[in-house]
Amino acid sequence: MFYRESGQLKSSYIADQAMFPIAQDRWFVIGVLAVAFLVAPFFINEYWANAILLPFLVYALAALGLNILTGYCGQVSLGTGAFMAVGAYASFKLVGFFPELNFLIVLALSGVVTAAVGMIFGLPSLRIKGFYLAVATLAAQFFLVWMFNKVGWFYDYNLTGMITVRPIDFFGIRITGPEATPAAKYLFTLTVVAVLALSAKNIVRGRIGREWMAIRDMDIAAELIGIRPLQAKLSAFAVSSFYVGVAGALYFAVYLGSVEPVEAFDINQSFYVLFIIIIGGLGSVLGAFLGAAFIVLVPILLKNIMVGGMGFDSGMAGHVEILLMGLLIIFFLIVEPHGLARLWQIAKEKLRLWPFPH
Amino acid sequence: MAFDIFLLEVIISGLMTGVMYALVALGFVLIFKASGIFNFAQGVMALFAALALYDFLAEDGWFFAVFGFTLPVWLAIPATGLIMVVLAWVIERTVLRFMVKQNEIILFMATIGLAFVLEGLGDILFGSDVKPLDIGIPQGASDWLLDNFNLYIEQLEIFAAGTAAVLVVVLAIFFQRTRIGRALRAVADDHQAALSVGVSLDKIWVIVWSVSGIVALVAGIMWGSKSGVQFSLSLIALKALPVLILGGFTSVPGAIVGGLIIGVGEKLAEVYIGPMVGGAIENWFAYMLALAFLLFRPQGLFGERIIERV
Amino acid sequence: MTDEQTNETLLEVDAISLSFGGVHALVDVSFDIRKGEVRSIIGPNGAGKSSMLNVINGFYHPQEGTITYQGQARKQMRPHDAAAGGIARTFQNIALFKGMSTLDNIMTGRNTHMSKSLFWQALRIGPAQREEIENREFVEHVIDFLEIQSIRKTPVGRLPYGLQKRVELGRALAAEPTLLLLDEPMAGMNLEEKEDMSRFILETNDEFGTTIALIEHDMGVVMDISDRVVVLDYGRKIAEGTPEEVRANQDVIDAYLGVSHD
Repeated sequence: MFYRESGQLKSSYIADQAMFPIAQDRWFVIGVLAVAFLVAPFFINEYWANAILLPFLVYALAALGLNILTGYCGQVSLGTGAFMAVGAYASFKLVGFFPELNFLIVLALSGVVTAAVGMIFGLPSLRIKGFYLAVATLAAQFFLVWMFNKVGWFYDYNLTGMITVRPIDFFGIRITGPEATPAAKYLFTLTVVAVLALSAKNIVRGRIGREWMAIRDMDIAAELIGIRPLQAKLSAFAVSSFYVGVAGALYFAVYLGSVEPVEAFDINQSFYVLFIIIIGGLGSVLGAFLGAAFIVLVPILLKNIMVGGMGFDSGMAGHVEILLMGLLIIFFLIVEPHGLARLWQIAKEKLRLWPFPH
Repeated sequence: MAFDIFLLEVIISGLMTGVMYALVALGFVLIFKASGIFNFAQGVMALFAALALYDFLAEDGWFFAVFGFTLPVWLAIPATGLIMVVLAWVIERTVLRFMVKQNEIILFMATIGLAFVLEGLGDILFGSDVKPLDIGIPQGASDWLLDNFNLYIEQLEIFAAGTAAVLVVVLAIFFQRTRIGRALRAVADDHQAALSVGVSLDKIWVIVWSVSGIVALVAGIMWGSKSGVQFSLSLIALKALPVLILGGFTSVPGAIVGGLIIGVGEKLAEVYIGPMVGGAIENWFAYMLALAFLLFRPQGLFGERIIERV
Repeated sequence: MTDEQTNETLLEVDAISLSFGGVHALVDVSFDIRKGEVRSIIGPNGAGKSSMLNVINGFYHPQEGTITYQGQARKQMRPHDAAAGGIARTFQNIALFKGMSTLDNIMTGRNTHMSKSLFWQALRIGPAQREEIENREFVEHVIDFLEIQSIRKTPVGRLPYGLQKRVELGRALAAEPTLLLLDEPMAGMNLEEKEDMSRFILETNDEFGTTIALIEHDMGVVMDISDRVVVLDYGRKIAEGTPEEVRANQDVIDAYLGVSHD
C-alpha cells in the first residue's frame, strides 16, 4: 500500500536509469541523509561518535571498497587491513610535507597512493584466480604492515613507532585530534563517505561496473565479448584501493588520532572488513552500510548483555564474541549468501505486494 | 669451514621447519582434493587438537576436573583423534551439507567463519593462555650429531620430520590402495560422476575431514611441543598457503616439496637478507616468494595445466 | 542471402592447425566467409567446430596457419581485437552473466562502443550520462527486435533456457557485429523456439547485412538458412559447398552415417 511502483511510469531513459527509480526509495535515502546531516550533529557526543558513528562510517567506506573488488569484480582480497594502512601512512606523510594542504586533497591523494599500491598487488590477478589471488593479497598484507613497522621514514623515526595525527583545520574548523568536537569529526567523515558512496553507486551501474560484474560472473565470456580482463581487474583494484585508502586515512586521522601498524592494520582487520561485506551483502552498496552497522553494533550489544547483564568478565565476553561472529558468518553464508541487503530487498518486494500476497 | 657448518645448520633447520609447514599443508590438500574446499580453518583445527590433547594430559583441564584422573599419552592421542573425527562429523552435519551447491569462494569464506568458531570455542573451553605440551618427544639438540658432525639440530625437529615422512607414506597408501581412497579420488575428479556410481558424498566428506583433522592433530602435537600450545599456532596455517601455491593445491608431493622450499628459503632469507632490512622478514618472505613463483607457473609445481573451454 | 551479398571475402582461415598437447583439434583447415552470407560449420561431435570459432575470435591460438579478417592477415586473433573489429558470438553452453539483469547483460555487448572515463561515470553527468542514454536506446531496439521487453529487468539466472539463448543473441547483436558467430544457437530448443531463433537469425542477416557463421546440429535448419556449408570431421575439412552439394557428398554421408537426411 505504501511501497508501490505502479503508477510511477517512466517516460525517458534518464528517469528509468535514475539512481533510485522508485519514488519511495528516493525519499527514504533523502530522509536518512537529512537526519544524518541535520539532526544527528545536534545530539552527538563523545561516546556516540567514537564508539558507534565514526567506526560505522569508516568501516562502511572500507567495506564499500572491498565490495567493489570482491562483490562486484569477484576478486577476493585478504589485504584490506594493509591497504588501509597505506592510506593512513600516506595521509600522515602528506600532512607532514604540506601542512597547509586542504585535508580533502590530502584524503584524495592518500586514496590515489593506495590505488597505485593496490594496482601493483592486483597485477597477478591477470594470471591467477580465486584462492591463489587471495594468497597473493596476503603477501600485500604481511609485507606492507612489516614495512610500516620497520622502515623509520614512514613514522618519522619517532621512538614509539606510532604515528599521531597533527591538528588539522578544515576551513577554520578543527577536525582532528582531541580538540576537535565530535560533531565536526562526524560531519566531515559523513560528507566524505556520502559523496564516495553515491559515486560508487554511479560507477557500479555504468559501463565499468558492468565490466566488473561480467568478469565476476564469467571471465572467459567477458573477454570474448571484448572486455579487457587486465583493464577491468586493475580498475577494480584501483577504485577499491582508493576507497579503502581513504577509509584508512579517516580511520587514522579522524577516528583514532594515532595508530601503531601491527595492531591497527593486521590481518584481523582484513577479516573484519570481509565479514562486513559477507553479512551486509556481496555486490551491494547498501550492503556495505548494513554490514558495517551490524558488525559495529552487535559487539557493543553483546558486551552490554554479557558483561553488564550476565556478569561475564570481559575476556570471556571477547571469546564468546569471536564464536558468535563465526557462527553468524556461517549462518549468513548458508541461509542468505547475499546478506542483509537481500533481506532488505525481499522485505521491499513483500511490501510492494502488501496487502495482497499474490 | 665454520661458515659452511653454519650454512648447513640453517638449511637443515629450514628443512625441518619446512616439514612442519608441509604437515599443515597436507591437511589443506586432502580437503581440497576431495571436496574442492579451501579449508582456512586447518590451522585452527591444529590448535584445537593440541588444546584438546593438553586437556586430557593436564591436571588443570576439564577431563581431570570431571573424572579426577588424567589420561596417559598413549590413550590421550587416540582420544583426541576421536574428538577430531566427531568434529568432522559435526562440521559435515551443520555446515557442509547445506553448502554443496555454493561456489568455492563462498565455501572458502565459510571456513573462515569456521576458524572463528573453533578459535572462540577453544578459548572458552580451554582458556587462551600458553600451555606447555609434553608428550615425551625428546627435546634439545641431538648430542650424536653435535659430537660427530658438529651440527646443532633439535631432536624434536628430527622426530617431526620422521613422523611427517611416515604420515605421507601412510596417506599415499591410503589414497592409492584402499577402496575409500579410490572413492576419494573419484569424488575429487568429478562430484556428479562419483555420486552417480554410488559414492556417498556426505560419508566421503566426513572421512576426509576426519583424516585432515588427524593430520591437524599431528601438526598440533609437533608445533605445540616446540613452542607451546597458543593462538599463534593457528597462524602457522597461513604459512601453509604459500606452500600450497608452490606445490599446487591438489598435489601431496607438491605440499611436501613446497614446504621444504618455503622452510629453507625463509630461513636463508632471514639469516642472510634479514639483517640488511631490519629483520622479521619471515613474516612475509614466503608470500612474496610464492607470489613471484605464481607469475611464472600459475598452476604450481605439480599442478596440471588447465585448458579452458567455452 | 541478403541483397548486399557479394563475393567479397570477409574472413579467410588458411591452413589452420591447432593442438592441445598431443591432441589435434584442427588439422590444416581452410575456408572463407563472404560478406553477407550465412555460413554453416557442421560435423559430428568432437569434429572441432567450436574450436574453429574459438580460433576465429582469438580465444585459442593456432600453432599454424593464418587468419585474414577484413583484408588484414595475422597469425592469430586476440579476443579484444576480434570484438573491437566487429566479431561477436554466442556460446554452446550459455555464457551469460548470471548475476546481472537482461538489460545489463545486453548492455555489456555495447561495451566496445563506450569509452567515457571513470571520473565522468562516477559523477554520471554530461558525457557519461549521454553515452549511457544513447547506448540504452540502441539496446532497447535490440530488445524490441528479439521481443524480450517483458524480461528487461529480470536477472538472467531466473530465465528459462530458450529465453537465455535469446538474451545471449541480444548481447551479441548489441555489439553491432560485422561477423556474428553462433555456436549451436538452437541446441535444446523445441520446434517453436527453433522457428523463432531461425527467424531472428535470418532477419539479422537480411536487415543489418550481418555476416553469420553458424554451428548447428539440426540439419533441417542448416539446409534451410545457410548459403554455404563447410563440414569438419576429426579436425579436418571433409567437404564444402552449397547445402545441396554437401548433402550429396559421399564423405559427409559416411561421417554422419545416415544422420544427414533427417
